[in-house]
Amino acid sequence: MRAAEPLSDGEVVHAILTGDVEQYAVLVKRYRDRYARYAARMLGSPDAAEDAVQDAFVRAFDQLAQCREPDKFAGWFFLILRNRCFAERRRSHRDARPLGMQDEAIAGPDRSDRHVERAEDRRALERALERLTPEQRDVFVLKHVEEMSYEEIAALTGASVPSLKMRMHRAYDRLRALLKELA
Amino acid sequence: MKTEYHPLVKRLLDGELMFADLPSELRAEAEQALRWVAALDRTPVVLSARLDERVMAQVRRHAKSPAGRVWRWLLGSREIDIRFHVRPWAALGLAAAAAVAFVVVRPRFETAALRAPTYVRFIFYAPGARTVSVAGTFNQWNPAAAPLVPTTSPGVWTTTVALPLGQHQYVFVVDGMRWVPDPAAPTVDDGFGQRNSVVAVAAQDGGGRAL
Repeated sequence: MRAAEPLSDGEVVHAILTGDVEQYAVLVKRYRDRYARYAARMLGSPDAAEDAVQDAFVRAFDQLAQCREPDKFAGWFFLILRNRCFAERRRSHRDARPLGMQDEAIAGPDRSDRHVERAEDRRALERALERLTPEQRDVFVLKHVEEMSYEEIAALTGASVPSLKMRMHRAYDRLRALLKELA
Repeated sequence: MKTEYHPLVKRLLDGELMFADLPSELRAEAEQALRWVAALDRTPVVLSARLDERVMAQVRRHAKSPAGRVWRWLLGSREIDIRFHVRPWAALGLAAAAAVAFVVVRPRFETAALRAPTYVRFIFYAPGARTVSVAGTFNQWNPAAAPLVPTTSPGVWTTTVALPLGQHQYVFVVDGMRWVPDPAAPTVDDGFGQRNSVVAVAAQDGGGRAL
């Protein structure tokens, strides 16, 4: 006997919209961790990422009837999460502290001599990333942390490849200036 | 002090060039840039096991709220089965009436179908700004998509954007960093503690009108 195939995203969305709210747990389980690293790097901590993912799932549920292509729920959910991260970045930007006053404990627990230099680089880079605009940080994280191509980022976000490249190249220059300031 | 990377180094970071392709005078700059990128934290992030429960608890509350039910009922799609019981002569009469209605009303439908987008002019006062753009639901919140240009009046920036019918949310982005709602437009909560401005483009004979 053949095992039952898992429902597609479109079928799950249809079930939810026709009243089976509990099916939403399927989508939560399926996509809870997919963009967690993106959110963590955008917002600076796994805790902030968890709050953002939770908010985004609830918001996605509230707007589920507006998901035009239910079989592409993951991409649609990502845009909601991304919007949530941008809003958070915009809010925190207003309260941003000057360079050199950031938290010191970003580098993690690795203290072996071999990794000290890497840890210092990482700490400086994290501080510099904090100072990018949300749009610059977004494309930087998608390209260099999630390791997506410009074409993949364009398909996910709806932006054009040339505009993504322009944003990325400005981010490189801004990072270089900030890292020199921190050195 | 030079703070911009050489374009070839940027292409190296983008993965479009190999290190060996670079001229020797750029290699120190490229090595430094690659060192920074290599230092990025790419550790996978796993969220707590209780996240699912918390989401579902909230979702169940939202699903039960009367406002949520009405909202989903209004926006949701459903299958509706409509049956008519008519006599053959009445069916012929209905078909004739439908044909007349089609001929009379069709031009209006065609106008609606072919209606061009409405051009909406955005004006923003931002003295001292270096750049201003408008980002909203109509351009996926991309601040690079619709830059404003300075007018002859000091501090006044403007641009014109083609918008389809419907309600659109937007904010102005000043110097690529500050997101500011339009003081001349109504605002709504963006759901994350900030305000978005709102412009509605309504249907009007032969086109649309911004409200």
